[in-house]
Amino acid sequence: MSADNFLEVRGLKKDFDVGSPTLFSRAPRNLHAVDGVDFTLHRSEVIALVGESGCGKSTLALLLMGLEDPTDGKVILEGRDITHLNDHERKDLRRKIQMVFQDPYESLNPTQTIEEIVTEPLAVHGITNSAERDDRVKKAMEDAGLKPAEIYLKRYPHELSGGQRQRVVIAAALVLEPEIILADEPVSMLDVSIRAEIINLLAELRITRQIAVIFITHDLGSVGFFADRVAVMYLGRIVEIGTMLEVLEKPQHPYTKALLSVIPVPNPRLRRERIILQGETPNPIDIPSGCRFHPRCPVAFAACKVSDPPMVTISRTHQAACLLLVK
Amino acid sequence: MQTTLSPSTPQAKTAKTASRLQGFWHVFRKNRTGLIGLGMLATILFTAIFAPVIAPYDSSSTSSAGISDIYNPPSAEHWLGTDDAGQDVFSNFIFGARVSLTVGFFAAFISIIIGGVFGLVAGFFGGRWENFLMRFTDIFLVIPDLPLMVVIVALTKPSLLNIIFVIGLLGWTTTARVVRSQTLAVKSKKFVLRARAIGAGKGHIVTRHILPLVMPILVVQAVLVVSLAILNESALSFLGLGDPTALSWGQMLNYAFGRGAMSTGAWWALVVPGFGIVWVVLGLTLLGQGLEKVLNPRLETHHLMPGRSPVQNEADLDVPGKGALLEVQNLSINYVNDGQPPARAVENISFTLKEGELVGLVGESGCGKTTLMLALLRLLPAAGQIVNGNVFFGGKDLVSLSDDELNDIRWSGISIIFQGAMNALNPVRPVDEQISEVIIKHLPSFPKERMQGRVIELLELVGIAADHKDHYPHQYSGGMRQRAMIAMALACNPQVVIADEPTTALDVMIQAQILELLDSLRKKLGLAVIFVTHDLGVVAEMCDRVLVMYGGVIAEYASVDVIYNDPKHPYTQELLKAFPDLTKPKKKLSSIPGYPPRLEALPAGCRFAPRCPSVFDRCHTEQPALHILADEHKVSCHLVEALK
Amino acid sequence: MNRTRAFLKKTAWSLFTIIFVIILNFFLFRVLPGDPARAGIRDPRLKKEAIEMLRVRFGLDKPVINCFESLNPIEVGSCAINPLDTQFFIYVRNLMQGELGISYHTNRPVADILAERLWNTVLLIGAGQILSIVFGVVFGIFAAWKARTSVDYAAVTTSLIAWSLPTFWLGIILLFWGSTHGFPLAGKATPGMSSMPLLQQWGDIARHMFLPTLTYTIVYMGEYTLIMRSSLMDVLSEDYILTAKAKGLSTFQILKDHALKNAMLPLVTVIAINLGFTVAGAIQIEAVFSWPGLGSAIYEAVVRRDFPILQGAFLLIAVAVILANLIADLTYNFLDPRVQTE
Repeated sequence: MSADNFLEVRGLKKDFDVGSPTLFSRAPRNLHAVDGVDFTLHRSEVIALVGESGCGKSTLALLLMGLEDPTDGKVILEGRDITHLNDHERKDLRRKIQMVFQDPYESLNPTQTIEEIVTEPLAVHGITNSAERDDRVKKAMEDAGLKPAEIYLKRYPHELSGGQRQRVVIAAALVLEPEIILADEPVSMLDVSIRAEIINLLAELRITRQIAVIFITHDLGSVGFFADRVAVMYLGRIVEIGTMLEVLEKPQHPYTKALLSVIPVPNPRLRRERIILQGETPNPIDIPSGCRFHPRCPVAFAACKVSDPPMVTISRTHQAACLLLVK
Repeated sequence: MQTTLSPSTPQAKTAKTASRLQGFWHVFRKNRTGLIGLGMLATILFTAIFAPVIAPYDSSSTSSAGISDIYNPPSAEHWLGTDDAGQDVFSNFIFGARVSLTVGFFAAFISIIIGGVFGLVAGFFGGRWENFLMRFTDIFLVIPDLPLMVVIVALTKPSLLNIIFVIGLLGWTTTARVVRSQTLAVKSKKFVLRARAIGAGKGHIVTRHILPLVMPILVVQAVLVVSLAILNESALSFLGLGDPTALSWGQMLNYAFGRGAMSTGAWWALVVPGFGIVWVVLGLTLLGQGLEKVLNPRLETHHLMPGRSPVQNEADLDVPGKGALLEVQNLSINYVNDGQPPARAVENISFTLKEGELVGLVGESGCGKTTLMLALLRLLPAAGQIVNGNVFFGGKDLVSLSDDELNDIRWSGISIIFQGAMNALNPVRPVDEQISEVIIKHLPSFPKERMQGRVIELLELVGIAADHKDHYPHQYSGGMRQRAMIAMALACNPQVVIADEPTTALDVMIQAQILELLDSLRKKLGLAVIFVTHDLGVVAEMCDRVLVMYGGVIAEYASVDVIYNDPKHPYTQELLKAFPDLTKPKKKLSSIPGYPPRLEALPAGCRFAPRCPSVFDRCHTEQPALHILADEHKVSCHLVEALK
Repeated sequence: MNRTRAFLKKTAWSLFTIIFVIILNFFLFRVLPGDPARAGIRDPRLKKEAIEMLRVRFGLDKPVINCFESLNPIEVGSCAINPLDTQFFIYVRNLMQGELGISYHTNRPVADILAERLWNTVLLIGAGQILSIVFGVVFGIFAAWKARTSVDYAAVTTSLIAWSLPTFWLGIILLFWGSTHGFPLAGKATPGMSSMPLLQQWGDIARHMFLPTLTYTIVYMGEYTLIMRSSLMDVLSEDYILTAKAKGLSTFQILKDHALKNAMLPLVTVIAINLGFTVAGAIQIEAVFSWPGLGSAIYEAVVRRDFPILQGAFLLIAVAVILANLIADLTYNFLDPRVQTE
């Protein structure tokens, strides 16, 4: 893995205003969806952002895509601050970062043919030379596993299966020749037997096209073999980040440990002791004091209620935010 | 605005539109309501356009009328009689169509444009625009239309043009609302977000992604607005506010009613113009209904429609095996839709459930697992029919019971925990009522004064505090709703609980909580559970035995250890390879090529054959039998024949 | 607390709409030809003193509003005048005192005439609404429950036809039929009835009401049937109905306990939205049957160009509809638990 910082995220925050001040309470209520996220992404690296619903991972994706404006913090791509751009710069940047969405049924316009869908990004970016266009469309579709491209061009999304639709979404992203693909739960709506083909496809693309992938998922189980690094999010923050093996085999944060323990293992001979956290993830409007995980933490002690733990370095690549790790 | 070069040439574009219209027509022509409406509308349009040719008399042939010509009954000369001015009613009717339709179409055009633009702008841009436009719309929505029209027309000159503008300018409110909500719905779709992610500008998004999906709704709305405009015009004219020089149907009625048709008994002068209005409005309404059904097809079916009665087969009335609580024998279920061959959703399924046992039912979407579970209690949708087999429970065959007998067994003997408890709980009734309801139904002797105590006991059993008991489902979180559903399922102490994907929509940690709860309750209460899921991991952690389904048939049925460590069916083997395993993070996942079979196009032989890595000739022609390998290991694959 | 807030918000909004209608009502009659007050004093039959009285009463010698001496034709005037000294303010002040002007035709105060007629309209709409809702709901329930059977097809077809009938035309047809079957042709009571015993008077009113109410019921029942059917169809295909079925409840119990309330909620909204249309229906029906209500007041005012009546009747109807709408809206909030606690 090269040491270059291709994409850097620094202290990224996003608050949503929920409910303006009312007759009875003057305090504005903010939902802290993303509450200070730092990480770096290297060229053609796969990083998995893992967390339960409400942890802010989808908002983080929208922030990285520039589809939402951050409240605070920076996003730096190849040394250039891309946090706030005007429409023109943003549009140029979109060629570099593309996104794949969760639901392949909803992310394709039912009135467009596959050809129109895959060609649309080129048209939007003014690539109108028809020979070049056809070339790129064909290549993108075949790279996305829609081979031969011709038989799909004239079809409509409803004529394809879920897996094929997700490939169309990927082809529409590839056609702009991006350097980063943000995949937001790309397989969670698909059947188990075809999930692997989409994951394998993304894994291939990083090799054939040197694309870095930010893989957002709620399923820690699905990140193995494919992700280089894993970041675990809880209530708007990364609580642990490390290489895939470090996080899966030597988790440090109690939340990561609990999360790993409850993921079912497809082997009845390995029925393990599970750490089941009580209650549910608190509302991101009222984030607990001190360590945000303390109300549910099985090993919390007095100090956890008051001090917010810093990121503690465990190895060069492995950090976790827990007071137990502070020496 | 972004000027985008269309990906296809103009000709191709037209061809595409044409083919979409063709596709639309293909569906529409099967819709009887819509066709009748279209026919009715076409007739009247034809009449209006060719009025001078069709009408036997010129529209202004009054000059020759004398007293004796007034209100003549229908005759050979005047098919529909004459009116108060001695004019031919039939001719006036035909020319009246022109006036009424003109007003209707032009007024509706104005309304649709205003409403469409308002709705689109409010829906797409949101924020202040939306606030302002929708407040404005709300005001006009509550001010009664017709009185305001009456006031304005009464104050101005009653000319056709004025009437068109007044009706048009006051008739846009519903269109604005409808278009706004459709725009909002389309805007929230992921493909719009994806278009933004591509870098598309607002203009591109509106023209390429929003409009194509708002247009159909606008067309339906337009049809309704035209009919309302025609009704309003006729009402205004009848009230004496019509253009006296343009004889619309409403104007004809105004004259006839005001000038003694009633007292002379000249019914024809009253019936004929009204018939015209009804004809057009009904035609438009039917057309609108038809379009609506084509564009927004809904299955006209619901859970209370009488199901198809099961095909009885008393021939192999085996006594259920010893210790078996529930025994399913050779159960087959078809979906029967008119005009199509029956779809074989579930075929020849047999399994048993012993006391205190947890059987997992695994399969991908569309494999028939939910259909099978619903069939056990005969809860299939109206199109589903049990065509073979028996379900023995408590010494009775549930397939052949009467509805009343079955209602006694439902929930008290076998209860179900449904997937996604948000929709499985009634949103407008408090949770405690929904629980006590089943106790009242099945344990009528249960003392009323202890009811609250019992409900609290059940809720506490699943970890819900007593003070949440009278809350409504929307006040619960997803996990709590699923807990409430479990409490409800246990309310009548059933022997068997069917859990149909009980944790599918939940987060991993909540899922673990629910699974833990189910497992502990099962042990505590000695329940037998059928656990339906697509998650092989969950099955491995909880189940005693596993039934793997593929395309409506049993692929493999064995103890959990055999399924995971010695599977014999290629589908089971492949499925395990596709499933991620945390303990082997380096394992490369493989997928099964192809897609599960569609029920209406099942392969001739083995249903897994098209995707099977070990397929051979016989698989394509002959459906494999269910081979019994060991006492409780059954596999339906030709390959295992040799192993027997 | 949220419920109180919603209540306050909706009430304030209705108030705002009423103010809008009041302003609209004033300017509509000033901008378009036909200022009721101004036209009134041109009536040659009036004595000089009467004209003078009207002039003072409606402030006709004063400018219409700041900056405008008159709006039809437009005459710009001084903006720097006391706003209390304009026709608009005098109109508002008169309105506050229940003063709506004087009818040209009868020379009686408009407010008195409308007050007499308001209750007749309320009686007609009330009876018609209740009947059409009851029948519409019942037919809708049967149509949905027996979906795709002949019961359903019959109910839907009848409803579509009923919906397509112009109200006044159906009234005419029923009147035509009624005239040959001994029903009274016009009005609310037979002249001379007031000396009869109370019971007989009521019977007479009921006989007069029968045909108008029947017209009303037929026209609106169709729509309610269709809406109830589709609403109930939606509810009956929900998962919680399957739950109820799995619980072993009978069809009757499911309909009663799990479907009806859920299906009726959208109907409340539709009834609220429909109030404007019901008034339109009432105008037509009253015109046909000469029922002495607000609708026929409007009809007569149009025929006689009696603008003060027209202006007053429109204002009264609009305000009544807005208030009725508010009540329906608040009822909905009260009935749906999902609104209360969000």
